[in-house]
Amino acid sequence: MKLLVCVSKTPETTTKIQLTADGTEIDTAGVQYIMNPYDEWYALVRALELKEAAGGTVTILNVGPADNDSVIRKGLAIGADDAVRIDVSEEKDSLYTARQIAEYAKSEQYDLLFFGKETISYNGSEVGAMVAEFLDLPYVGEASHLEIDGTKATVTRDIEGGEEVIEVQTPLAVSAAKGMAEQRIPNMRGIMMAKRKPLTVVAPVDYPDTTRIAEYEKPEEKGSVKLIDPDNMEELVRLLHEEAKVI
Amino acid sequence: MQFISLRNLRFMLHEVLDLSELRNSERFKDFDQEAIDFSLDAAQQLADQYLWPVYREMDRNKAYFKDGEVHVLPAVGEGMRALGESGWLSAAWGFEHQGQQMPLTVHNAGSLIFQAANGNLAAYGFLTTGAANLIREFGSEELKQTYLQKMASGRWQGTMALTEPQAGSSLSDITTYYEPQADGTYLIYGQKIYISGGDHNSVENVVHLLLARQKDGPKGVRGVSLFVVPKHLPGPDGLTDNNVTTAGIYGKMGQRGYVAAHLMYGEQGPTRGFLVGEEFNGLKNMFLMMNEARIGTGMMATGSASAAYYASLTYARERPQGRHPGNKDINAPQVRIIEHADVRRMLLFQKAVVEGSIALLLQCSLYEDTYRVTQDDRSRLLLELLTPIAKSFPSEYGNEAVSLGMQVLGGAGYTDDFPLEQIFRDIRVNSIYEGTTTIHGLDLLGRKVMMEEGKAVQFLATEMQQEINNAEQTEATREIAAALALGMESMQQVLGTLLQLAQRDDPRVFLADATVFLDYFGLHVIGWMWLKQANAAVRALPNAEGDDETAFYQSKIQTARYFFTYVFARTAGLRRTLLAETRITLNTDEAWLL
Ligand SMILES: Cc1cc2nc3c(=O)[nH]c(=O)nc-3n(C[C@H](O)[C@H](O)[C@H](O)COP(=O)(O)OP(=O)(O)OC[C@H]3O[C@@H](n4cnc5c(N)ncnc54)[C@H](O)[C@@H]3O)c2cc1C
Ligand SMILES: Cc1cc2nc3c(=O)[nH]c(=O)nc-3n(C[C@H](O)[C@H](O)[C@H](O)COP(=O)(O)OP(=O)(O)OC[C@H]3O[C@@H](n4cnc5c(N)ncnc54)[C@H](O)[C@@H]3O)c2cc1C
Repeated sequence: MKLLVCVSKTPETTTKIQLTADGTEIDTAGVQYIMNPYDEWYALVRALELKEAAGGTVTILNVGPADNDSVIRKGLAIGADDAVRIDVSEEKDSLYTARQIAEYAKSEQYDLLFFGKETISYNGSEVGAMVAEFLDLPYVGEASHLEIDGTKATVTRDIEGGEEVIEVQTPLAVSAAKGMAEQRIPNMRGIMMAKRKPLTVVAPVDYPDTTRIAEYEKPEEKGSVKLIDPDNMEELVRLLHEEAKVI
Repeated sequence: MQFISLRNLRFMLHEVLDLSELRNSERFKDFDQEAIDFSLDAAQQLADQYLWPVYREMDRNKAYFKDGEVHVLPAVGEGMRALGESGWLSAAWGFEHQGQQMPLTVHNAGSLIFQAANGNLAAYGFLTTGAANLIREFGSEELKQTYLQKMASGRWQGTMALTEPQAGSSLSDITTYYEPQADGTYLIYGQKIYISGGDHNSVENVVHLLLARQKDGPKGVRGVSLFVVPKHLPGPDGLTDNNVTTAGIYGKMGQRGYVAAHLMYGEQGPTRGFLVGEEFNGLKNMFLMMNEARIGTGMMATGSASAAYYASLTYARERPQGRHPGNKDINAPQVRIIEHADVRRMLLFQKAVVEGSIALLLQCSLYEDTYRVTQDDRSRLLLELLTPIAKSFPSEYGNEAVSLGMQVLGGAGYTDDFPLEQIFRDIRVNSIYEGTTTIHGLDLLGRKVMMEEGKAVQFLATEMQQEINNAEQTEATREIAAALALGMESMQQVLGTLLQLAQRDDPRVFLADATVFLDYFGLHVIGWMWLKQANAAVRALPNAEGDDETAFYQSKIQTARYFFTYVFARTAGLRRTLLAETRITLNTDEAWLL
């Protein structure tokens, strides 16, 4: 089986995000990056499990600048066989990114293309579906389980109040949600091997950027917690009604 | 829940210590910054998943002995196997032994993470590494084939079996003995006490690295040899019993999930042992493990103090209590205790001890790595000289730090709603095992300051002077450097006086205050470590990116200043004690101790 896992990087979850003065960009000074957890914990690990069960290769793909190589090698340390980075130095939108992935993947005959269900920074959930569209492949989003039997894939999605089970033929694209696999801690051997695995850098194809960030806004600071005396239920009700406006 | 600072470990490895010599060596060339960071991240993940969650549980459901079996929580075995399978237990080994040739400096930074998360579990693993290292270094090919990978996987426990009822500090008095057999093996008779990891049901086998003396052989260290003595003998048909009997385990103040066993050999049938290294070289070879274990004990104490620091810091940031002196307004809200100067004193003390200890432990590890690749006298002697400090400073000052951590929590610290009371009990043993603090004082003053014509102390003075020379850039570092320079002058005077005493008097007189000297000397060493960190922070500060990074470097400079003002200042009193030739302790009649 030939498997592709598309990964992106996101700021480390404890990072305090600051914006640039004009509010159109995130200030990257001092920001530590990690691999997007949906990509790493679920998509990549499930791909590795499938490969371990049935043989094949797992390739990691990232669209981004050379700074991303460290995040990519983390994926190699966890167990991917090789990696590709499409060398794009500026921040681009989802459509541009999807176009680059599709251009690369179209000649590679992957059986499965994995994405995380979203990045934990931009929460777009867009790239996977767009790639599937460009490649004319079936797409299942937010999959919590994935089994492969020959060319038949059985994909489970968590939906409101229950589960949806979908059968579909490979090749296909899926985006991985919680439940698909469990985070793997890279072992020492994997970490040291990562350096020796191939990481190919390819040039992007020309494609227009169709959107522009007008402005980012930070959410309002959360107020401090109010403690209400258990004997004073009326006050609690009043606050929930008037201040929190939840009842 | 935070128990250690990864940022601080990265600071030490990338900004304070110079690893370039290692990177230029064939053995360690693959360990660039990224490999180090990946390794530390992986260690943190393992610690978060397998070690920290069971720290309290291992205390509450302590190990127990029933029907001849030592029961520990299944989490112990799971944790050990996680450390084994991830490659941590054997990461520092060469490729020829399926290791990754990780520098000890990096390995020990990882170990500090495990020790902070749960020293009681980590210890089972790293004791096993230490025992396996003896087989790897001195054992026959057959022993290596039989034992190394099983131990590296965390499925077989390793121990160091030295202590006996009449031989604790004085190992040359051991009486456990051996008799050679025609087949090249040996029969072992005797008993060992307090053996950590000595027996438990979370592993398939226990492998004792045991010291015994030749039956009817010479007394003292000369007759002592080193053996592998497995609980179960590995053979073609699997494991068979080797008559190592567990008489019981000890009820302990702390580290209650980390077993210490009383073991008997050859009592219920023949116990077979396998010689490791040459006969009669036992104690010398065992020192490889003991030196490692001394650094390991320093790390364990540091890990505990680190966990206590972050627990008390978290509490101090949240607990409102009292108002600032002078604020008489009873309607004003209470301030968080982190705002009180005295709470900050207690937090800074902990930080100074934890990060000062980490710096020294990693510095020692770097000397060991450097020696491995260059075989230079300087690294070898500095490692030897500093090992007693690396063991005893974190243990002794760690006790004080954890006590202050508890103090920060007030009444809550004394209750078992918070981990402080457990950490307080757990850390205490570190100044007892692996040689009591006294034994390290004797080792430092009685042997190490004078070894090879005092060369080690000269090397240390040169290193310190270099750091003093680096301190010119800022007022803060200049002040610290001046205090350290003054300390070094006093130290020369103290050493001069003590060495004169050594020449003209009974060694009892010269060594009477060896523990005081150890404390005095150790404060200078940690002072040097703080100056080194402050200098690195001053270098990095102009290029710090973002508020967090700026605060990180400022915290280093400020903690260094704290250390010199509040802790290093103790050297003045210690010096006075050391220079007073009053012989108070020796001249105290035993009858007066009543
Ligand atoms: C929890 C625990 C785990 C242990 N694990 C192991 C293990 O895995 N393997 C192992 O072999 N041992 C182990 N030990 C034993 C440990 O190493 C000894 O307890 C330690 O070396 C001290 O020996 P002792 O208990 O006999 O005390 P003693 O040697 O009787 O010392 C008592 C006091 O006398 C002082 N003293 C002794 N000799 C001198 C001297 N010459 N000059 C001045 N003062 C002196 C000591 O400093 C101490 O304060 C463990 C101990 C404990 C408590
Ligand atoms: C086992 C036990 C038994 C007890 N028995 C009793 C009892 O019988 N009756 C009773 O009434 N109480 C009892 N107490 C409560 C005890 O008196 C309090 O725990 C103690 O006074 C500390 O208060 P606290 O726990 O609220 O800590 P805090 O007041 O929250 O103190 C936390 C830390 O902040 C520091 N701090 C607080 N205020 C200031 C300030 N203004 N300036 C500088 N630093 C400050 C403290 O020194 C401490 O280090 C008991 C406590 C324990 C643990």
